[in-house]
Amino acid sequence: MEALGLNLPKLIYQIINFLMLMIILYALLYKRILAMLAERQQRIEQSLKDAEQVKLQLANAKRDYDAEIAKARQEAASIVAQAQERAKSQEVEILAQARRDADRVREEARVSTLQERDTLLREAKDQIAQLITLTASQVLGAELKASGHDTLIAESLSALDRRN
Amino acid sequence: MSSRNRIILIVVGAIAVGIIARLIFPMGSPVVTVRADDLPGLPNFTNSFMVLLVVDLILILLAFFATRNMQLVPRGLQNAMELVIESMFNFFCSINKKWTPAAFPVLATIFLMVILSNWAGMLPGFGSIGFCTHEEHSSQGALAINLKDPYLGLLPVQFPLAAEEGKSKYLGCEPGEHLLELFRAPTADLNLTLALALVAFVTVEYFGFRALGLGYLGKFFNFKGGPISIIVGLFEFISEIARIPAFMFRLFGNVFAGEVLLIVMIFLLPIALPLPFYLFEVFVGFMQAFIFSVLTIAFIGLATEHHGDDHSHAEGAHH
Repeated sequence: MEALGLNLPKLIYQIINFLMLMIILYALLYKRILAMLAERQQRIEQSLKDAEQVKLQLANAKRDYDAEIAKARQEAASIVAQAQERAKSQEVEILAQARRDADRVREEARVSTLQERDTLLREAKDQIAQLITLTASQVLGAELKASGHDTLIAESLSALDRRN
Repeated sequence: MSSRNRIILIVVGAIAVGIIARLIFPMGSPVVTVRADDLPGLPNFTNSFMVLLVVDLILILLAFFATRNMQLVPRGLQNAMELVIESMFNFFCSINKKWTPAAFPVLATIFLMVILSNWAGMLPGFGSIGFCTHEEHSSQGALAINLKDPYLGLLPVQFPLAAEEGKSKYLGCEPGEHLLELFRAPTADLNLTLALALVAFVTVEYFGFRALGLGYLGKFFNFKGGPISIIVGLFEFISEIARIPAFMFRLFGNVFAGEVLLIVMIFLLPIALPLPFYLFEVFVGFMQAFIFSVLTIAFIGLATEHHGDDHSHAEGAHH
């Protein structure tokens, strides 16, 4: 053994040296680095969990958003339909009112026209009667009697009416 | 000039320079000793133990500076040490996940100490710087391997700068003198390899008892299964004990052989020739550290298995 250099005290020194180094490295290196690795692993796992949760929340929010959008679209469509329906009924009402107004205006215009016509006719008759009287007095050269005068005017007007 | 020719030229040039250097600086026959030498005036304090203390110091300083100001996002030395520790931990877990956390300090310390000790032996100065002594190797009980010097026998060229009267013609020790190395690879000392083997052995047995209690002894002393079981137990016991010298001599043999190989190559041709062997020794140094620690965790795995596992597995497979 001595020829190979084996020696009990040296062997004990080596074992003690190894154990001391192991203890120091455990305290300084392995423990700290393994703890750091474990902490990092834990943080990564936590981050992944958080990310998963955020993803879930995002999916929920998107689902809610889509539901809200769908609801809003439905409401908007309903409002538009109601508005269209109301507009249609108003259109009918307005048209009817317009027709009524138009009829009323036309009727008033017709009545007014008739009245105007009657007025004009009356005035024309009066003027014609005066013209007849004047023409007859000038043609006959003498003034007719009052009765004869009225009779002549009546006859002339009758003739005019027949002609019209 | 093509790259092939350039490489050939470089190699030939390096060999020529090596031969010339070998002629200018004649070396005495290299002496290779198996045992680590005590440093002068320091009994039981060997050159290998001194280097081992330096290796310890380097490891402690690395550990200290790597973990001095730890950050969640690692940088620099912390990053490098985390890579080393995490790689080792994951690898050991891939072999035995259950016991790695408990055994990791032993495994990692074996790996780090062995790999640095192995590589330390390749540094310049190892095996070449020391004290010339006239002591007979045989009187110290050391084994010495004397290699024949092919150049000195063929071309006895004197060292020109020391050719004056009264000065040595040799740059190193005179022929017949023994170079007491100042530095020696710690793993080229059987005391360390035996110490590591004992630590590994005790660790394995500790985990065996921890997992199985006194039932662990049933692996070696099984009297219930008849004479066959007794013989099998005996073989188990012998193979368990044989792990100590196996651990010890495997590591020592590889490192020591590597040193001898490098010394011989340097002796034959100091320039260029040793380079591939240095690269090879880097690989061997890593592999030996790896094998030592991996075998330890593998043996822990074997020791912590229940004795009836094989039977139950075999029965399960049969059914």
